[in-house]
Amino acid sequence: MSREYLKEAIAEDDREKLIRYVRLHFGDGNEKTGQLEIEKAWIEALKRLVDFPETKREFIFQSLEEQSEETLAHLFFHLHFYFVKKSGEWIHDGNL
Amino acid sequence: MATSEPAETQSTAPNSSDQQLRPGLWDVVNERYPGSMIHNDDFVPMATLKKPLSQCRLGFVSTSGVQLKGSLPFDVVHPIGDYSFRRVPSSTHVDQLEIHQIKYPTDGANRDVNVVYPIQRLRELAEAGVVGSLTENFLSFIGYNMDARQLEKTLAEDIADAFEEEQADIVLAAPA
Repeated sequence: MSREYLKEAIAEDDREKLIRYVRLHFGDGNEKTGQLEIEKAWIEALKRLVDFPETKREFIFQSLEEQSEETLAHLFFHLHFYFVKKSGEWIHDGNL
Repeated sequence: MATSEPAETQSTAPNSSDQQLRPGLWDVVNERYPGSMIHNDDFVPMATLKKPLSQCRLGFVSTSGVQLKGSLPFDVVHPIGDYSFRRVPSSTHVDQLEIHQIKYPTDGANRDVNVVYPIQRLRELAEAGVVGSLTENFLSFIGYNMDARQLEKTLAEDIADAFEEEQADIVLAAPA
């Protein structure tokens, strides 16, 4: 999928095209698989918070405050793949 | 590398089935990665070898995502891709290599990296005199790059420059 396609979708605010891009990325070219992968990442994140574990909220706030939106967006993709891998169900061909 | 007018996106294969080795492949690619197929009218003349292969310094570049352990991993999560490359000394022991790439099966390559990055095989060819010598460094990048124009104008140019610095007479390029 091309950056041209993505920029066109952003210009037209075509949300279906935009989310399709993300799903195809996470699904290695399979949209349905990508949707499941994204959901898997959220489920894994949710599971880790259900018992109120101690977390470093200062680190989170500091990062949100100090880092650029671009860095945080990049981190957002990293975190999705991180939790996909943490799920133990790694369907992708290679490695991060 | 010369570039022409902006590339056009194509939604269908440009050639009829009798001209394509795998008819329908482009349609499948466009379905999975819309707009990724581009058309470019640049004409790049075929380069001719100016001396025998046995006297040539050979470079190697691959899309395999092979890199030295401890180097910054290729960015396989970025939605637009990673347009950087890594240098891998051609003398590197295979134990010092690792692969960061999620878009192709790496099981076989993890058992023997030579199937995607034939560093030992190329050293053997140099030792046997089939090729004159190897460049000090081989190169590597990842194939998930969703901006073909940037790929051409930055990564491809950078790789061409790097091989000029390496004084390569010929370069073997291999997809993974």
